[in-house]
Amino acid sequence: MRAEVISTHRGGVWSWLFQRITAVLLIVCLAIHLIFTHILNIGELDSANVAARLANAGLTAVDIILLAAGIYHALNGLRMVLMDYWFTSRTRALTLTIVLWVVGLAFMGYGTWALWPWIS
Amino acid sequence: MPDIKFRVKRQDPGDKKNPEAHWEEYIVHYEGDNLTVLEGLFYIQEKYDGGLSFRYCCRASICGSCGMYINGAYRLACQTNVKHLDTDLITVAPMPHLPLVKDLVVDMDEFFAKYEYIMPWLIRHSSDPEKELIQSPKERKKIDMPVDCILCGCCYSSCPSAWGEDNYLGPAALLKAHRFEVDSRDEGGKERIARWNNERGVYRCHTIMNCVEACPKELNPTEGIQWLKRAAVRRKLLGKAK
Repeated sequence: MRAEVISTHRGGVWSWLFQRITAVLLIVCLAIHLIFTHILNIGELDSANVAARLANAGLTAVDIILLAAGIYHALNGLRMVLMDYWFTSRTRALTLTIVLWVVGLAFMGYGTWALWPWIS
Repeated sequence: MPDIKFRVKRQDPGDKKNPEAHWEEYIVHYEGDNLTVLEGLFYIQEKYDGGLSFRYCCRASICGSCGMYINGAYRLACQTNVKHLDTDLITVAPMPHLPLVKDLVVDMDEFFAKYEYIMPWLIRHSSDPEKELIQSPKERKKIDMPVDCILCGCCYSSCPSAWGEDNYLGPAALLKAHRFEVDSRDEGGKERIARWNNERGVYRCHTIMNCVEACPKELNPTEGIQWLKRAAVRRKLLGKAK
């Protein structure tokens, strides 16, 4: 039996819980984002129009939450799929988690940097 | 006296001359309308080939020995009446995705090792009462579903997560963890939680629900596993599971 193997794979509860929390955030934030971008604010997709929308601090906050929740939900889902296949040992799973965190934080940094002119 | 054709998957990996899997057909005669698949297999064993191997024991669908893949579905051979299959051809194969021993007999060692790993017994820390451990009907009702598991292995054989991952505990073991986790008399939650609350435990379940479809006792292991996931969160955030 692989009791030792199983007992070294601790954790999982937080990634499971946050997958659900980010799912709810995605539904709410995506709805707000789409409504304000494509229904209430129909106009040219140019810099001035986007700047006018993002001048609203609430909408910028929604966009940042959407960005964070989207990245977490997507990469955590990818991690779940990959861990079914090759990333089965503890070392491989840990490496995968670290790589995905680095990729996720890089995306988050880039997205926040793109929104920064309107935040500041 | 009606006849019915049985197509049985035969394989003897130990037979050097013919180790490959192959199908063999047998005509089974029976009287009345109460032939079960298991009785059909007895007939084949008596009349055609005494070497046909299969597991059975209670013949009343409570021991879980005769789980097989019959006419494209997981069934217990003893509780499957051929009349209810509504066909003239009965195909019988061993439970797939498990190591084969011979013919319809599969190796259940790994299955039972995982079952044992989950500590499937009542764990008590406080001193026992003099007479008995009282359990209210409401508390008993919580274990109604999981307590009916007969460990036939159908859910484990049907689970895609278990096919791809040898270390995944599987639906049966996790349903048993759920059974003790919801039991008001059990106090072993802390010992048990590390064994199921991990990436090779409950979090490898992706709610595919093959186990629910496969279970001959019509249980719902997926529900039990989801309950455990919520219990893990409750333990982490509130410090209690029940």
